[in-house]
This record gives sequence, structure tokens and C-alpha cells, in this order.
Amino acid sequence: MDYDPMAMDTEAEGPSVKISDASAHHVNFELSSVDLAFANTIRRVIMAEVPTMAIDLVEVEANTSVLADEFISHRLGLIPLNSKNVDDVAYSRDCDQCDNYCEQCSVTLTLHARCTGDEIMKVYARDLVVDSQRPNNWVGNPVITDPDGLGTVIAKLRKGQELRLKCIAKKGIAKEHAKWAPVSAVGFEYDPHNKLKHIDLWFEKDAAEEWPPSKYASWEDPPQEGEAFDYDAVPEKFYFEVESVGNLDPDAIIQQGIKVVQEKLAAVIKDLTDGGSGGAAADFDGPRSPDMNMNGGAAASGWDQGYTTPFGTAAAGGSSGWGQTGAATPYGATPYGQNGSNGWN
Amino acid sequence: MIITDEEQRFELFLLGDDEKKCFETADTRTPNSSVFTFNKEDHTLANMLRAHLLKDPHIIFSGYKVPHPLFAKFELRIQTDGEVTPKEALLNCCKSLVTDLAILSREFTKEYELRKMVGGDSSGEK
Repeated sequence: MDYDPMAMDTEAEGPSVKISDASAHHVNFELSSVDLAFANTIRRVIMAEVPTMAIDLVEVEANTSVLADEFISHRLGLIPLNSKNVDDVAYSRDCDQCDNYCEQCSVTLTLHARCTGDEIMKVYARDLVVDSQRPNNWVGNPVITDPDGLGTVIAKLRKGQELRLKCIAKKGIAKEHAKWAPVSAVGFEYDPHNKLKHIDLWFEKDAAEEWPPSKYASWEDPPQEGEAFDYDAVPEKFYFEVESVGNLDPDAIIQQGIKVVQEKLAAVIKDLTDGGSGGAAADFDGPRSPDMNMNGGAAASGWDQGYTTPFGTAAAGGSSGWGQTGAATPYGATPYGQNGSNGWN
Repeated sequence: MIITDEEQRFELFLLGDDEKKCFETADTRTPNSSVFTFNKEDHTLANMLRAHLLKDPHIIFSGYKVPHPLFAKFELRIQTDGEVTPKEALLNCCKSLVTDLAILSREFTKEYELRKMVGGDSSGEK
């Protein structure tokens, strides 16, 4: 494609979204007017960098079950926990209220189960008792979606066996451990007719016959017979299928993902605009989590010199989270429009 | 203290003590070019920046590399036509991407709310 002004004009319109299907646990949508790299960034960030809650520490008081402590700890870690408004929770490693963990940065769940009957007893996620001292009223509740309201099975106990333990759930991202993933899968597809030849389909006799068309194939025009290959063609429509594990609503996952990318970019802008002054020691006082500077109260450290104005408003908008509608993004409507007078140069 | 060779996975996204997220090094081999080193970032950011920079008519070259797969770091090389410095170009790129993401967020919210209003009863339930 040529770099004509028209191309820049269409770019200015920005991405557009069409939702084709949605439920409490998934959303399918079509993303267009963006390039492949942008769409892929959205996909990657949703999979790996959206913060959620998961059990991270387990203190075992008694375990007379047949399963090893580590085994049960691992199972507990994988239980999806409600993460609505996780922004209210601080990262334990950044928490300035405590050295280890506290009510600001963790949720405590206790499990006490003992089999007294003759039959094998199953211990379910619903048997976890969530401590009331927690950052908000949702965070840390085990996700229970089955009709009987049981949740996932943690262990099975025989007569006389007992399980008594305390779990500490913390906020984290899936880049550190997959248990923090908000999604089980993100479907990502473009060019269902393979017009761009990004895929080299394996076949025995005829690729068209052996590979069933995707469900999105009917949404785009099939290639014309004898049509010449368009060397300038780029993918234009991207079909996402975001499947939540239940800890966040599907729209929240996407909004959080967008926010994470914006924060990454903001960090780059911040570093490049006031970089050089003060040196590393002044700008940074230790390792921090990726979105720490966005979490309102937590922004007290020396992170924000010179970028305070945009982040100040961002903290106000960001704290109310993804529930909001309309133009209010974490950055406000035009985050960089009014930079001339106030602050970062 | 336990000594382990297990990789510490938070090192993938937590900046070290004296690390900056991003800094510029001039590339003296060619005019108007710089290499930006990004710490604790990966292809997620790198490829998006690379692709978006190429839409800027002042950009002659933009490309990135991850010097080693075990270190969360990438280097983005930018060459401009001289009208803008590579740093300005990168800043413009970042700002434009933030705007795009804001639009995406707004569009998605709009669509999602619309969807909820229309099909809320049939599809919104568990």
C-alpha cells in the first residue's frame, strides 16, 4: 500500500468492533480497521497479562488424605476465583501496608473438611470459606457455575481423613503462572479463505476438499476463479473468540487487556519524555508490577514525576474500572491533547 | 536460602532495580537512526510498535529483535527521513496507539452494551 494521505485518514477513524455472539462466559467479535500486529497484541495481552486472583500460598495444618500437600496446593491454585474489580487489590509485592500479605493485597480462604461417614467424601471448591476481610465483596469467591453449585473437586476423603488448610489468594498475571489466566482460550482467526496464503495447508489430493471451511468463511467473499494473487493485500478482519474461565466477565477481560497495553505505552512515553533527568535512582525505587502506577493510591512512590497530570486523571477514571460506558477510558478522552501547558514536556 | 536454577518468572515483567523501561541509543552507522531498548517487554509491544511506526510517512525503517529468548528485552531500530527524530516518531506512534486503544475500548463498550440490551434475556444468562 502507498503512503497516501487517504490511508492516514482511514487510520484516524480507528478500530471498529462487531460482536457476533456473547454470553456470561464468552464473547465472539470481529475486529477491523487494525493491522495484524495490533490484533495480535490484543490477543497476547488478554492471554498473558490481564490481572486476576488465584490461590498462591497454602498453609497446610492437617492433611491425612491420600494426596500430597503439594498436589493439593497445586489443585487449589488452579481454582478460578472471582476477580471482579481486581484493581481494588494491590500486588503483594508492591503492597506498602505489609511485608508479606494483608487484607489490601490478598484474600484468605480456609478449608476444613473431614470425612466421618462410610462413603467417600468429595471436597469441593464451595467448601472453601472466604474471609470477610478483603479488598472488595467479589474478589476471591470461588467460581461456581455448575447447576448443583458445587464447584471444582479439590480432593476425595475416606472415613477418618481430614483436610485443614489456609489459602492465601493473591493478584497476579498469567505470564507468571497460568493459574492467573482470565481465559481458557482466545480464538483468533483471519482470512478464512486463505487468500493471503499465510497458511500452507497440508493435503493428500485437494486442499479445498480436505479442509472444511471455517464458520467465518461465509462472512467473506470467496476467491474468484482465476483471480491473480494480490501482493499488497493485508489481513483486515480478525475474528476473536474470547472464552472466560469465569473469574472475569468477558467484556471486562477485553477492557482490562486494552488498559494493560495503554499502560505499557504510557510507561514508554513517560520514559522517553522525562528520561535522562534524575537518573535511574530518582525515577525508580525498586521492582514494581506492571500496572502499579495506575492504581490510584499506590502511585505514591517516585514513579510519576512529570507525568503526574495524565496519570492523575487516569487514576480517577481507572479506579472505577471497566464497568463504565461511553468515552471514559482509563486515560480520559484525549489524554495527550492537553499536554502543552501542564507538566511533561 | 534455597539456590535454584529455576527461572524466576516475575523477571519477565518486573523491572530490575536500575532498569528503565525504555532508553534510546543513537545508531551512528546511518543518519537519523536510533535503537531503542525496551526492558521487560516482549513481542506483544514490539510488533505493535514496529507495525504502527511503518504507517508514519517519515519512517524509512523500523524493525525489532529480541536479542536472546531467555531475557525479556527487545531492541527497536528506527530510521527516519530527517523531518522528525526517531524519538519523536516513536512518541507519536505511542500516543496514536493509545488513542486507537481508547477508541477500541469505546467501540467495544458500545457494541457490548447494545448487545446486552438487545439479546440480554436469551444470551446473557449462565
